[in-house]
Amino acid sequence: MRNVIVANKVQLAYPHHEPVIKDATLSVQTGEFVFVTGASGSGKSTFLKSLYGALQIANGELMVGRIDMQSISGTKLNKLRRHIGVVFQDYKLIKEWTIEKNVMLPLIIAGFPKDVCQAQAHKLLNHVKLAHKADKYPLELSGGEQQRVAVARALAHNPFLILADEPTGNLDDYSSQVVWELLEKANEELETTVVVVTHHIPEMFSANYRHLMIENGVLYEIH
Amino acid sequence: MKSIKNHLALILPLFAILFAVEYLQIIDRVVKMYEDHLKTEYTIIVVTETSVLPGTIQQVSPLIDKVEFVDAEQVLMRIRQQISQESLEKLQSVMPLFYTITLRRYPDQKSLEELRKSLMALHGVKRVQMFEKVHHPLYTMLMFLKANVKVFALFFGVVGFLLILKQMYVWQLEHQERMQIMALFGAPVWLRSGVLFRFAVIDSLIALAMIAGLVFYLQADHRVVALLSDMNIDVTRLVLLQDFVQLAGVALGTALLCAFWVVARFKEES
Repeated sequence: MRNVIVANKVQLAYPHHEPVIKDATLSVQTGEFVFVTGASGSGKSTFLKSLYGALQIANGELMVGRIDMQSISGTKLNKLRRHIGVVFQDYKLIKEWTIEKNVMLPLIIAGFPKDVCQAQAHKLLNHVKLAHKADKYPLELSGGEQQRVAVARALAHNPFLILADEPTGNLDDYSSQVVWELLEKANEELETTVVVVTHHIPEMFSANYRHLMIENGVLYEIH
Repeated sequence: MKSIKNHLALILPLFAILFAVEYLQIIDRVVKMYEDHLKTEYTIIVVTETSVLPGTIQQVSPLIDKVEFVDAEQVLMRIRQQISQESLEKLQSVMPLFYTITLRRYPDQKSLEELRKSLMALHGVKRVQMFEKVHHPLYTMLMFLKANVKVFALFFGVVGFLLILKQMYVWQLEHQERMQIMALFGAPVWLRSGVLFRFAVIDSLIALAMIAGLVFYLQADHRVVALLSDMNIDVTRLVLLQDFVQLAGVALGTALLCAFWVVARFKEES
């Protein structure tokens, strides 16, 4: 087991604002499934953003996949992101692309040949039960379906770390179940580390997991 | 439909800029050709009472290319049959000397006046005949046309460039979301901006093809050919192959500059 995320007294703040996160100290190891909960506005999404370099840390030390996140940018950041899968609450699918091409995105970026990208996209769309809609565009799909596509995209390049921001926030029960099953499967079968930011941990969730909570800008370990 | 509109919004201003550049070149060549024509056709006659060395006349101005003495005998030969020998001898004794001057280039009116004064100041010069009234109006009109074309070209260029910049703002908004998403998955700049550069290259090539089509059409149009022939201008020398290399440079340069501008303004949201 090796450390995938190491945070030591991390402070996070948006420019010209007070810190949202005042102290985040933790270490997450390969194959762990971590839930981060907290009230609205507690800084859960902000914390997640720092893990994929969308927000620079203000203070402290943060390592993701042995990469120092302090002042990371450019090529180094791109390289790290190519090994992380991110699921966003608002899906962030490219509207002008078919859902098949959306799933292929991380593989296209990694430079895989088209046939390899297509085969992997087809496999993942099968997993999220959307293979029959491969040629559709995101706006032709429901919210739940779009999120399933986003999860498939996050898994496409077999990342060592999956970061999910409220992945089932707006979804119906069926789509939520598909999303959780897929994340759980990736965690169990591929030993992918998963960090999920959510309001509450789903009852249907059966795997072993860690539970962290953010309160008053501090990250606490619940279990 | 939206895509066609998007392309046209870049192609048309680019076309306007290229048209302005090419038209400016053509007008420049028309004036240059007419100047060359004037240079070979235009001569100044200097009438003197006494013999002057051609070299002395040549030293008057660097504008003077060649000075030739006109032999009056040839003129007198023509009228020898019509007048008596006595009258002919009298005429010969009072007959002035004539020199023709060819210039290096056709000068403006002011330079011509200065040349006239300098020639008149030479010892023995009685009269200087410039014939400028024959050529000058057309030449002035061409110069006026050239100045106007420059103003219009500048106007076209500025308006075209502003329209392209405006289109780049639109592109920036349209592509921002896609570029953001690609950036979140670690796409390098060249990959997430690839579509912008593809658009820029394709649109500039289309604009170039359009301007080439228009120029070749005009060059082959019999009315244009006839008009230019009347001015002794060879239409085949008006548009050169190097123009298209230059225009391709202008088109690609402008479009790529704008695409780089959009890419440079990209900021990842946090």
